[in-house]
Amino acid sequence: MIRVDGLTVRQPATGRTLLSGVSFEAGPGESVAIVGESGSGKSLTVRALLGLLPSGLEAGGEVHVAGRRVDDDPRALRRMRGGTVSLLMQDPFTLLNPLRRAGRQIADGLPRGADAAAEVPRLLAEVGLPADVAGRYPFQLSGGMRQRVGLAAALAAAPRVLVADEPTTALDATTQREVLALIRRVQRERDMTFLLITHDLRLAFSMCERVIVMYAGRVMEMAGAAELRREQRHPYTRALLAAEPPADRRLAVIPSVPGSVPAHDAVAGGCGFADRCAYATPECRAGVPELRAEPGSGRLSACVRAAGLPAAPPPPPGVTAPARPAAEPVLTVRDLRKTYPGGARPALGGVGLTVAPGEIVAVVGESGSGKTTLARCVTGLERPDSGSITLGGLDCSDYAAMDRRAVRLARRTAQMIFQDPYSTLNPARTVGATLKEALAADGRPQDVGALLELVGLDPALARLRPANLSGGQRQRVAIARAVAGEPALLVCDEPVSALDVSVQAQILTLLAGLRERLSMGMLFITHDLAVVRQLADRLYVLRAGECVESGAVDAVLDAPAHPYTRELLASVPDGTGGWPH
Amino acid sequence: MRRISFGVALALAVLVAVGVAAAFAPWLVPDATAQDLMTGITGPGPGHPLGTDDLGRDVLQLLVAGARTAVPGALAVAAGSMLIGNLAGLAAGYHGGWVDALAMRWADLMFSLPALLVAIVVAGVLGGGYGLAIAVLVVLFAPGDTRVVRGAVLEQRHRPYVEAALLKNLSSWRIMTRHIWPNIAPVSLASAFLNFAYALVSLSSLSFLGLGVPAGSPDWGRTLADNRTQLLANPWAVIAPGLAVIATAAALNVVGDWLHERVERRGRAH
Amino acid sequence: MNGWARFALRRLAGTAAVVLLLSIGVFGLLYLAPGSVQQTLLGTRPATPATIAAIQARYHLNDPVAVQYLRWLGGVLRGDLGTSIRTGAAVSGMLGERLPLTLALTGYGTLLAALAGIPLGVLGALRRGRATDRLVVTAGVVGLSAPPFAVGLLLLVVFALGLGWFPVYGTGEGLADQVWHLTLPAAALAVGAVGLLVRFTRAALVRELEQDYVVFARARGLRAPLVLRYALRNSLVPVLTAAGLIVTGTLAGTVLVEVTFALPGLGSLLVDSVTFKDVPVVQALALLLTLLVAAVNLLVDVGYSLVDPRVRLGGAA
Repeated sequence: MIRVDGLTVRQPATGRTLLSGVSFEAGPGESVAIVGESGSGKSLTVRALLGLLPSGLEAGGEVHVAGRRVDDDPRALRRMRGGTVSLLMQDPFTLLNPLRRAGRQIADGLPRGADAAAEVPRLLAEVGLPADVAGRYPFQLSGGMRQRVGLAAALAAAPRVLVADEPTTALDATTQREVLALIRRVQRERDMTFLLITHDLRLAFSMCERVIVMYAGRVMEMAGAAELRREQRHPYTRALLAAEPPADRRLAVIPSVPGSVPAHDAVAGGCGFADRCAYATPECRAGVPELRAEPGSGRLSACVRAAGLPAAPPPPPGVTAPARPAAEPVLTVRDLRKTYPGGARPALGGVGLTVAPGEIVAVVGESGSGKTTLARCVTGLERPDSGSITLGGLDCSDYAAMDRRAVRLARRTAQMIFQDPYSTLNPARTVGATLKEALAADGRPQDVGALLELVGLDPALARLRPANLSGGQRQRVAIARAVAGEPALLVCDEPVSALDVSVQAQILTLLAGLRERLSMGMLFITHDLAVVRQLADRLYVLRAGECVESGAVDAVLDAPAHPYTRELLASVPDGTGGWPH
Repeated sequence: MRRISFGVALALAVLVAVGVAAAFAPWLVPDATAQDLMTGITGPGPGHPLGTDDLGRDVLQLLVAGARTAVPGALAVAAGSMLIGNLAGLAAGYHGGWVDALAMRWADLMFSLPALLVAIVVAGVLGGGYGLAIAVLVVLFAPGDTRVVRGAVLEQRHRPYVEAALLKNLSSWRIMTRHIWPNIAPVSLASAFLNFAYALVSLSSLSFLGLGVPAGSPDWGRTLADNRTQLLANPWAVIAPGLAVIATAAALNVVGDWLHERVERRGRAH
Repeated sequence: MNGWARFALRRLAGTAAVVLLLSIGVFGLLYLAPGSVQQTLLGTRPATPATIAAIQARYHLNDPVAVQYLRWLGGVLRGDLGTSIRTGAAVSGMLGERLPLTLALTGYGTLLAALAGIPLGVLGALRRGRATDRLVVTAGVVGLSAPPFAVGLLLLVVFALGLGWFPVYGTGEGLADQVWHLTLPAAALAVGAVGLLVRFTRAALVRELEQDYVVFARARGLRAPLVLRYALRNSLVPVLTAAGLIVTGTLAGTVLVEVTFALPGLGSLLVDSVTFKDVPVVQALALLLTLLVAAVNLLVDVGYSLVDPRVRLGGAA
């Protein structure tokens, strides 16, 4: 159905090449996943395939759709969009025309002569929505419903190929599972060819028959999902899989890959992964390794040592979390309540928790659970309606009512790191200026170099501005800023959810190390149970502003008592074909 | 650093030329206002590339001298409203509450008035000179800058880097001036260039109506008004100052747009 | 009380407050002005105590300012705008005589601006980055930078004196001839608005064309005209915002254009009255112009709610 041969994408204005040498095919009814981290070129590949590259980018190479060459014939490709090949995009909040009712947007895509009055309700029913959704505007629908409307619209012209670009990344875990299950059911019922773009290798294993792994604008490895899950013939695939921590057991060490994803052109002369690879030889940097078929099997690998790679180590066994001696808590929260003006229900409806020195306490929940509000109340960025917050023996329930000295003490006790690595640092200031100011504010000697080394960064970075740092480096600087005064409590608001998997593991390892070195308590806000399993000692599960379950991490995750906790656990992709159910 | 386009380069060249004329007019054209009633109005000819006006003054020299009247006033309006706009916008955006409400009601009021009409009424009634016209335009332009700065502050205010500074117990003043302001200054500068252009057009409109500079002064709007009854005798006495206003304002707009685009590109590129 | 009624009441109260503040401002301004009204009225006549007393009595100049203002306000509420100091004629009559010309001029100018500015902006956005776009953007910037009086005189030089296609001055007789006479002034007025419309329309459409929903619409095979309709409808919101700016700009522009082309409209009346310190006329003009601006802003707000269901149905964005 689809054949791509030697695809390249270039930006003529800057002379940059973003991806090159991408070749693959997908047969009728086959499901293929393209997996990669940011900058791998996975999304550009499908955009180029559909002839929908953003302006300023140019594609080369051959593309065949349904047996017809289309890369040199944009008009033929335009006619094929919708009826032959259709795309579902990532963000349900921007995917639909905000000024048009859902039903009309679906009807717009129907083939000429179709009866909208009959077809629209049928399509809505197929994606599990009631017919009255047709009369609503996108802003009146939830994210999951919008993504379902998007799917119905993408299916309106009965395409034979469905391309889905990270279709559920913007959704909550439980919604994600429902939507993925729906997509797979529809794909099988309609027997469509399916191309899934994702950053999550386990999700790819569960959803597709074949998997293509991309890195820095090139294909690294290609194999059947089950085979690839069993054994990886490229060190990058191994590293990617290992860096995604499991939710079912705690690892002694989270395997992380040093460095970050390079740009395509920065590694044009050799294997893109060589600089981060433990198996690299001089040959890897001598030239771009070809994607070669392995004799005797259909799988392809771009590693020069593919045949001679040592067997992958077996998955490491789980360990039990080390016990922590009981201690006087550094943070005590009692019956915290907060309702935002205009909010239909409380963001926090009476939540209590404690964090002991050196203890990592996770707060888990989906969007709207109140977990971020909790973190912001603790640090005084929001003011709770009622309840009490005690930080190191100091009553911090209302920062506005505290005197200056008490506020300073509280600020030195609790610090915070944030989710978005791009806005967490002031773009106008150098790393050195940011950290120097932090050290001064916390009354510490101004040794920026030592602070950078503490978070595993080169002191030479002090001269740079955030724009010249990678996402992982920025998050490290933000951590350095927070721990400059060795606070007793570090509040972490989703600190790794915006990072690539290989970088996420580095940051988690850094945080675990800092906890030991500074015997710092942590309040760790996250939606990701796998992260909780690796890092935290205890957890609280929040839903709609209420705590539904709490306890030691191993106890709760091994034997969840509350149905909601079980549902969250079931939403983590396990890499088997049985998921999502 | 990206290469600048031909249009931006041309605009910068125009601004440099106008700036030089404004700065050095007394030395470049010391006799610009010298009248020669014997010659009277003539078309372009030897010694007078753009001809003379009805007082026998050389149109080209008047044009150069006119820059000295036109540019500083407009610059003062742009700078003044930028200053007020930054102070009021920072205060309103950062503190919110009644400061914000007051600043925004003031801006709403000023926005519901056509700026030029108010300037005409005030300058006309008070019979004021150039200084009054400038003061009125500052009062009328500042709300626009206030809004721009306030919007930019609100956008920055809840970014994690500001909240992190807050958690470091830094003073509001330090956060506003050292953290937020450097990130909004380019936006404000771009808007100042657009104001500069609009102030130039507005001031020349006032002098065209006979408000602002006294009759006979070398000012683009004024020269144009003084000679508009002489269209047949020497159209250049009308065309040249008109084109001077348009070209200068267009150059300022182009530079302002260019600055604005740079800010937006930087914002997108992270 | 339903949403619409509350909205309308709030807007009315807001407009009334602006008008009130403005009229106090104008009154205060005229009071502060150097050279009293009586001096203006006396002109070159000898200032005998008798004439001064007569003037003071006629215009109530001895009353405190507040009383003078309230007397004026009371008159306005009864529909009496007073009499002009300069001509002695009823102000309402003077306004009535000149209003049609100004309305025709602004209407014609706005129409020309919309007919040229919106299509040019759309064209620029669709041909983004190419020669056509650069031309459109340049034209927009020049339009935005050109004061109406300069444009007016340039148009006169080229089209009236040079080519002789249009009359130089006057308002004309009969509809066709009037339109003929008003074309150059309206064009001079429209140039600035064209610049503004080109800029807003182009920027809005460029932004919308990059949105996900446009890519998604193309990806699922919607026909190009329909995709363009999606984007155009969404870019209407910022273009509506421009409408308010255009009307205030056009009203200010009429003053310059009417003076340039020697047309007897409200604008030239304003300039004459202001220099003569003709209090009642200036007051009435300020009142009328403020009401016009407020009415347009109200229309723009109604337009928003028609275009955007989020405004109409009160949903969060």
